[in-house]
Amino acid sequence: MGERTRQVLPSVLSVLLALGVCWLTIAFTRDADTATRAYLQMLWGGVGNWPAFLDGGSSTTVLRPLGESAMKAALLTLTGLSVAVAFKVGLFNIGAQGQMIWGALAAALVGAHVSLPGVLHVPLALLAAALAGAAWASIAGVLKLKRGVHEVISTIMLNWVAVSLVDNWLVIGPLRAVAEGASSITGTAEILPSAQLPRLLGESSRLNLGFPLALAAALGVWVWLSRTRSGYETRAVGLTPEAARAAGIPTLWRAGGAMALAGALAGLAGAVLVLGTEGRYPGSLGAPYGFDGIAIALIGNNHPLGAALSAAVFGILRAGGTRMQLLGVHKSFPELIQGFALLFVAGRMVWLALLARRQKRAQAQGPAQAGAEVPRA
Amino acid sequence: MSLEDASLDIVPGELLAVVGENGAGKSSLMNVLYGLYHPDAGTFLMEGKPVRFKSPRDAIARGIGMVHQHFMLVPTLTVAENVVLGREPTKRGLLDLDRACDEVAATAKRFGFQLDPRARVDTLTVGSQQKVEIVKALHRGAQVLILDEPTAVLTPQESDELSQVMRGLVAQGRTVVLISHKLKEVLGVADRVAVMRRGRTVAEVRASETTVSALASLMVGEGSKGAAMTGVPAAASGTQEAATGPVLLEAKDLRATGENGRPALQGVSLTVRAGEIVGIAGVDGNGQRELAEVLTGLRKLDGGEGTLLGGPLAGLTPALAKARGVGHVPEDRLARAVVKAMTVEENVALGRHRQPPFARGPWVDFKGRRERTNQLLNSYDVRPPDPTVALQALSGGNQQKVVVARELDADPKLLVVVQPTRGLDIGAVAQVHARLREARGRGAGVVMVSLDLEEVLALSDRVYVLYEGRVTGHFTREHLDERELGRRMLGAEASHG
Repeated sequence: MGERTRQVLPSVLSVLLALGVCWLTIAFTRDADTATRAYLQMLWGGVGNWPAFLDGGSSTTVLRPLGESAMKAALLTLTGLSVAVAFKVGLFNIGAQGQMIWGALAAALVGAHVSLPGVLHVPLALLAAALAGAAWASIAGVLKLKRGVHEVISTIMLNWVAVSLVDNWLVIGPLRAVAEGASSITGTAEILPSAQLPRLLGESSRLNLGFPLALAAALGVWVWLSRTRSGYETRAVGLTPEAARAAGIPTLWRAGGAMALAGALAGLAGAVLVLGTEGRYPGSLGAPYGFDGIAIALIGNNHPLGAALSAAVFGILRAGGTRMQLLGVHKSFPELIQGFALLFVAGRMVWLALLARRQKRAQAQGPAQAGAEVPRA
Repeated sequence: MSLEDASLDIVPGELLAVVGENGAGKSSLMNVLYGLYHPDAGTFLMEGKPVRFKSPRDAIARGIGMVHQHFMLVPTLTVAENVVLGREPTKRGLLDLDRACDEVAATAKRFGFQLDPRARVDTLTVGSQQKVEIVKALHRGAQVLILDEPTAVLTPQESDELSQVMRGLVAQGRTVVLISHKLKEVLGVADRVAVMRRGRTVAEVRASETTVSALASLMVGEGSKGAAMTGVPAAASGTQEAATGPVLLEAKDLRATGENGRPALQGVSLTVRAGEIVGIAGVDGNGQRELAEVLTGLRKLDGGEGTLLGGPLAGLTPALAKARGVGHVPEDRLARAVVKAMTVEENVALGRHRQPPFARGPWVDFKGRRERTNQLLNSYDVRPPDPTVALQALSGGNQQKVVVARELDADPKLLVVVQPTRGLDIGAVAQVHARLREARGRGAGVVMVSLDLEEVLALSDRVYVLYEGRVTGHFTREHLDERELGRRMLGAEASHG
């Protein structure tokens, strides 16, 4: 079994198994036919109803779902990367949600109150969001590296601090949009058009610059980790901190830097949400993309490209999940699938042991059976 | 890690030694006996009947006990608690500690061990901890006792004592299987010696009918090569004129705190010149490790002063030490010298990854790194010579070769090595020793901390003895005496000069 197979296979099998378990759940509570049709609806809702489109349907039947999936995938990629990068130095960043909240707020404020041409406005808003996220994450980073405060505890608590400060005070208090006439508005002022992330597929789809941005981030993190000196140092710090220290690597800076980068990525997710679809910081940030990032990173085996891939899969499932309701199946099934996949992927070592045994048996039976290494799932 | 057609007869009431190079399969064979590994083929007969151990539990039940190289003791528990762990005597469902102590004391007494069952294990010396392990096995009814490299961490006196303990057990009808690299020691204590090479048992000889060099030849498989690798200190090959090179390290009254918060260095002064190997001898835990850490910037000084390669010793960091030309082969390879999950080439770059040929600007120089790694793997005979495998896939000896290759390739002015050959087979030991001498020949100063007195004697031009964080002895080569060194290691006052 090659190294790459060892990395990828458990995740793939876990997602497939999770899909199977949830299919069975629907099949048992309803019937097999409904389960299959619900899955089909989820697929059409995620990637577009291609049969209908090819039958002469309007392009909206595929563009709109693809846009929704891409939008969700972009957010999940960024928060997934956030968690994965922190993992590389051995830190468990539970705080992507809080970092994302500050990033979203920073983007909303720069987007609404700074007046600049679009080519500068969008980058500035993104930068502000990244810095805000990085700053918030660095609180946990400094606490960990200087005082030994466990980052799981501090990031969880900082999430609540962020929710309390931003959602429960700033955006309904001092930063609340001064509404003209309407009194029901919560949240910050609308961002200026120059700060909006450009739509890529016209008005029929919400796909915007956030998606390529997230992919670029994944690619960038991967290149950084695998090809640069500082990325190498970062990995060494995460894998064997004492050896890194003995080798003269500034371990505290590397760990702190990775934590700040994690925060910046989560902050960017907040910016993509605000500048891409919400248009302002809403009364509450809503969907817990930051927490989903933990699952995305783990299912992606903490690899930047793995995170992007698992974000794509779950972006599709999440976007398509609403369509399951057409058959009376609750829309939370995609989250259930994600949860199961996470559960199964946690058993990575079990998967690898099973696969190794299977391979051994195949070898014992002679070279003719050697192909059994590839699962026929 | 593999066995091919290995056979071994263990005769009751004798002391059988199993020798072989690292990776020859000694440990694998013992792990099969102990139920940790399952053989793919072959039979295992006990008293003429085939048996199959699913786990060490089965092995223990059939009277096989094992003392691992790394002790399996809970440091914060007492001797008695450790010995009865897993089969504690109870009274009305509660742990009956008094009975445990009595039982353990009885077992210890029966076999002639002096152990306080109520002493906490972390207060004991390494030698005593080993006795606890042996008593633990005996307490569980071991008839056959397997000892894996038991003398690796002992002083000569403790080793002698262990030999007596082993002979005593045999005299009481127990069977002892001793795994060792140290041929001289093996011949002094064993009845019979089994030699393993590449997963096979290649010979079984009576200890009284063989010699160190004959055994070494059997181990490596070539008569001529074997003779050069006997592991016996060839004093002559190490001698040279007293070093008169420039002073690389001048340290006075060094003080530092150890990991446990207790003072580890309490006023150590030493000098190292270019072109000499300075041995640091001592029983484990007397400040040697901390001294090496101070010299490599890993541990802060509490007091004292010194000059290291033209700069102050105070405020030294690992990066600064490296920049001044300090090379370091640390004791705990997996924790400190390598990143085991990374590839061999990534490990070769570690510490020099910011300079050519390992980097170009901010980027990793994959090509330069590969070329340099291939050169080093070849010249150090690392197997397999594959720069892309994970370091952890290499055997311990080959991992150490990678570390030594990396550190010497940087052409250090001062090399700090700690236990450089622990757990290595004689071939690798000879190679590492040759490289250290080579570094000295090039004009480097070498500080070598070793618990293996043979090694200290074989290589050092001068020896400092550390005891409880102080220098209790300083010998130049011509005044080196193993017994006197051993006395100083145990804190004895100078009996002369």
